[in-house]
Amino acid sequence: MNGNAVATGVEQSRERVRDWFSRTAPLVEWSEMVSPLGVLYLAQSGAGLCRLTFGGTEDDFRALLPSRAKSRRNPDSLREARKQLDAYFGGRQVRFRLPVDLGEMTRFQQRVLRRASAIPAGELRSYGEIAREVGSPRASRAVGQALGRNPVPVVVPCHRVVGSDGKLTGYSGARGIESKRWLLRLEGAPVEAAARV
Amino acid sequence: MVRFETLIELHHDELYFYLRRMTHGSTSDAADLTQETWLRAWQAFDRLRPGSNARAWLYRIATNCALNALRKGRREYPWQEDADLPDEARLPHEQLEDSEDLELVLEEISALPPRQRAAVLLRYGHELRYAELASALKCSEASARANVSLGVRRLRRELEAK
Repeated sequence: MNGNAVATGVEQSRERVRDWFSRTAPLVEWSEMVSPLGVLYLAQSGAGLCRLTFGGTEDDFRALLPSRAKSRRNPDSLREARKQLDAYFGGRQVRFRLPVDLGEMTRFQQRVLRRASAIPAGELRSYGEIAREVGSPRASRAVGQALGRNPVPVVVPCHRVVGSDGKLTGYSGARGIESKRWLLRLEGAPVEAAARV
Repeated sequence: MVRFETLIELHHDELYFYLRRMTHGSTSDAADLTQETWLRAWQAFDRLRPGSNARAWLYRIATNCALNALRKGRREYPWQEDADLPDEARLPHEQLEDSEDLELVLEEISALPPRQRAAVLLRYGHELRYAELASALKCSEASARANVSLGVRRLRRELEAK
């Protein structure tokens, strides 16, 4: 008896399961880039950009990838997304033209995030306004929760949604309201007025 | 929500060793049952609620796979000492320092009825708590305790007789 034979059995089984998983699971590729908000991790599925995080670790980011997906780091992937984000952070572009995969969100959450995507840079909307625009005028709180679960902040600009009194009430990205304020200032939104209210 | 890929990385090996012990040390049966376990887990993954105990859930699926296979008689055969190798390093419960004693215990565990075998292995080999064990065996906590207790009593009796 020797230890190698034990290792071989379990290793072969592990490889077999991994192979099966690779053939079965949808592939998600991810990459990272440096941004003024810190290291920014982004991932794409076959349907589009599915996750963007900043201010956290790689492990934090990977834990958020679609639950059934096989993830693979590919530094060459997501070039267009990285290019547009670079332009955005450089103040040269304020509207993203990227396919976004919101497949893990509920239909209501998808409606809210698509509505948020339509807010022009430099403008603000309240949670109540978004609730009315998606046909659920009394669902301000649910709108806030949907925005809080935005898997691709910055690209889907949930930071452009503020409290009805203009206050920056919350932000799911790293460093919370500080990041939200930074993004709104970058876009030239009336954030100082809003913050004073 | 836990990721399936992460579950494979975290739990594949322990499930394999558990299934191998359940099938009397056969690597090929263990590999087949391990594959079957992951396939079933994949199919049922949407029903795994966020925050629930994924490890116990996986052991439940693995136990079902093993008990089904044993029930069908496909994999029920006497302990074969040379069929494969013991997994000393994978059995943290073993307080036995003498590997011959360990061998003897593993042999007797393999001779237990399947459900008691699963209960003893999961409780002492894989250190599942009784609540997790109940979930894995799909029974009440009292029944899980009873299975462990019966298994241990039988083990002790057999070992004392040797």
